[in-house]
Amino acid sequence: MSAAAAVVSLAGRMRRPQTTVRWRLALLYGALFLFSGAVLLTVTYVLVEHAATATPPRTFVSRLPPTQRLSSAGGAPVFGGVVRTKRSSVLAQLPPRVVQALRSTAGQYAIRFVGDTQRLSDLHQLIVESSVALAIMAIISAGLGWLVAGRVLRPLRTMTAATQQISEANLHERLALGGPRDELRQLADTIDGLLARLEAAFEAQRRFVANASHELRTPLTAARALLEMVITDPRATVDTFRATCRQVLEESEEQEQLIDSLLTLARSERGIDGREAVDLAAATDAAVRSRRAEAAERGLELHAGLTPAPLWGDRRLVERLIVNLLDNALRHNIAAGHVHVTVAAAADGATLRVVNTGTPVPADEIDRLLAPFQRLAPDRTGSRQGFGLGLSIVAAIAAAHGAALDVRPGSQGGLDVRVQFPSAPALGAGAGTGLRERAAGEERAQRPGLAAHAQRAVGADLQAGPHGDVDRPVLPAGDPPDRPLDVAGDVERAPQQS
Amino acid sequence: MRVLVVEDHARLAATVATVLRREGMAVDVAYDGREALDRAAVTTYDVVVLDRDLPGVHGDDVCRSLVSAGSRSGVLMLTAAGTLDDRVQGLEIGADDYLSKPFHLVELVARIRALARRSGPALPPVLVHGDLELDSARRVVTRGEQPIALSPKEFAVLELLLGARGTVVSTEQILERAWDDATDPFTNTVRMTVSRLRAKLGDPPVVETVSPVGYRIGGSS
Repeated sequence: MSAAAAVVSLAGRMRRPQTTVRWRLALLYGALFLFSGAVLLTVTYVLVEHAATATPPRTFVSRLPPTQRLSSAGGAPVFGGVVRTKRSSVLAQLPPRVVQALRSTAGQYAIRFVGDTQRLSDLHQLIVESSVALAIMAIISAGLGWLVAGRVLRPLRTMTAATQQISEANLHERLALGGPRDELRQLADTIDGLLARLEAAFEAQRRFVANASHELRTPLTAARALLEMVITDPRATVDTFRATCRQVLEESEEQEQLIDSLLTLARSERGIDGREAVDLAAATDAAVRSRRAEAAERGLELHAGLTPAPLWGDRRLVERLIVNLLDNALRHNIAAGHVHVTVAAAADGATLRVVNTGTPVPADEIDRLLAPFQRLAPDRTGSRQGFGLGLSIVAAIAAAHGAALDVRPGSQGGLDVRVQFPSAPALGAGAGTGLRERAAGEERAQRPGLAAHAQRAVGADLQAGPHGDVDRPVLPAGDPPDRPLDVAGDVERAPQQS
Repeated sequence: MRVLVVEDHARLAATVATVLRREGMAVDVAYDGREALDRAAVTTYDVVVLDRDLPGVHGDDVCRSLVSAGSRSGVLMLTAAGTLDDRVQGLEIGADDYLSKPFHLVELVARIRALARRSGPALPPVLVHGDLELDSARRVVTRGEQPIALSPKEFAVLELLLGARGTVVSTEQILERAWDDATDPFTNTVRMTVSRLRAKLGDPPVVETVSPVGYRIGGSS
């Protein structure tokens, strides 16, 4: 109960937090005013007093009437009135003639320092009155401060109220603060930017879930429809049952593949668990061998030009990336087309390039293809080619490895995909667990939606214009074998250095 | 009854089409949104079964186009996203009914029938002409309490003629409503079906030939 009450009171305080800042500012204004006023008064007082003591007071010496004369002892002058009370030192400042006169005619004169006492009482009065005025003005300025603070903080209150209203359901709303381009406007614009990014991320997530549920439920529906169809068919024979069962089996195989793909996507989005030295060329060679039969079946030429190119990464994910690119190239090809796979090693890392012939892909479609569940429009036969996850898995794996993914339309239709892995030594330097995890975290942070990292790279490259070598068919790289081996040596050494 | 099934999953589309044909409907299949719009522009469908997540033109856009083109087809939306918001949004776009995957085929068929009844002039589920009764929901035809076994096509033709309430239904209309695109429009398949139907219904004859336009229900009323 007390915890609930605390939450309620906390919520109450959170609802109107501006009061404290407003009061604090008002009090600060008042206090500052009071302080500077007090300093001003003190300075004035000191200056005036200094002026009073610097100039000798005007002295009035008058001869007293005989009845008021005082008797003197030993010729010492007898002072009366204010002289005695405040200014005994004044005697030294008196002109010697006057002192002489005072000494000789002791008791017969009265000395009055009229100017000094006048100034002292004036000063005293000034101090008192000024202090009262200062106190009043301090209160007024605190009040004014309260008003001004309220006015200045009003946009902040508006922003708070608006931000509190925004939830997952109305992420499209913005603060859209008007007024001058000041710090508060800047803050509001920053929050608006944050909301825009959040909205994009939520939208991507929502679309992903919608797509995933569509892709998962549709084969389920198909399997169920098939079974219902055959069960309700009064003329069903053993053969129709068998054929239906075969179709249902195929459906469930498709579902398995889909779930496998989704898990791979999720895994590569999560980052890399452990890196090891992987030879991109060897992995590509294995993948190419496994797809030779399929290529022959489809009547496609499959060329591979492989140079040893070590990289530091997750072997299973790298293999998956290669296989996905290959399958993509084989599936979305034309009759008697070809696929060129090249692996090259350079100082700045290993590069995998897969170029295939195929139906032309519009350049503005490529960003879409990298998003999950996106495929090119199907042909009219309704044959579905994959789930549209292949390229997004490639993008996620590339991003997890910090590799630059560059997808562009091929010169002979199809796609020209280039994956540039970062150089192995640079990765080796970050092989410590903490560093690696931080790097993975940064990669994830930079990826608001799936594959956005890769999309950015693609977008940038597309803006820069096509490569000069796109038109050239890819030939097996003619790099001398000793250079990649050097890089390999670096890989081996790198973890030991770190 | 003419139905267009728009579904990008080829096997599901084929299965649904098979079942609907078995139920006596004339079914065309489109695998993406653009094809669906092309087909709907040529043929007037009683019901369009529309998968929402389509490649090319999205199902929502197909639905909007159909509605804005003044189509009288009932739109039954199929979707995997079965949340309340999705259903409401789908109906707001202009869908007449909504079914989320996975669904029962029986329910799909019943909903298509219900939609078809609403898309045309209002018809009762049981059509009666004299002693002839056709129950379109239970797919049963009786004459004088005696059940008559009809093939799906014969049933569809009889349903069309009874639904026209004695007015003439042209051969082209019958061909369009009861047969799908797979049929060669130049065959005399309508004439063959009508003659088989006449033989099964027996005497006195109820289907009249209005030469050379088409057929109508007449005679014993």
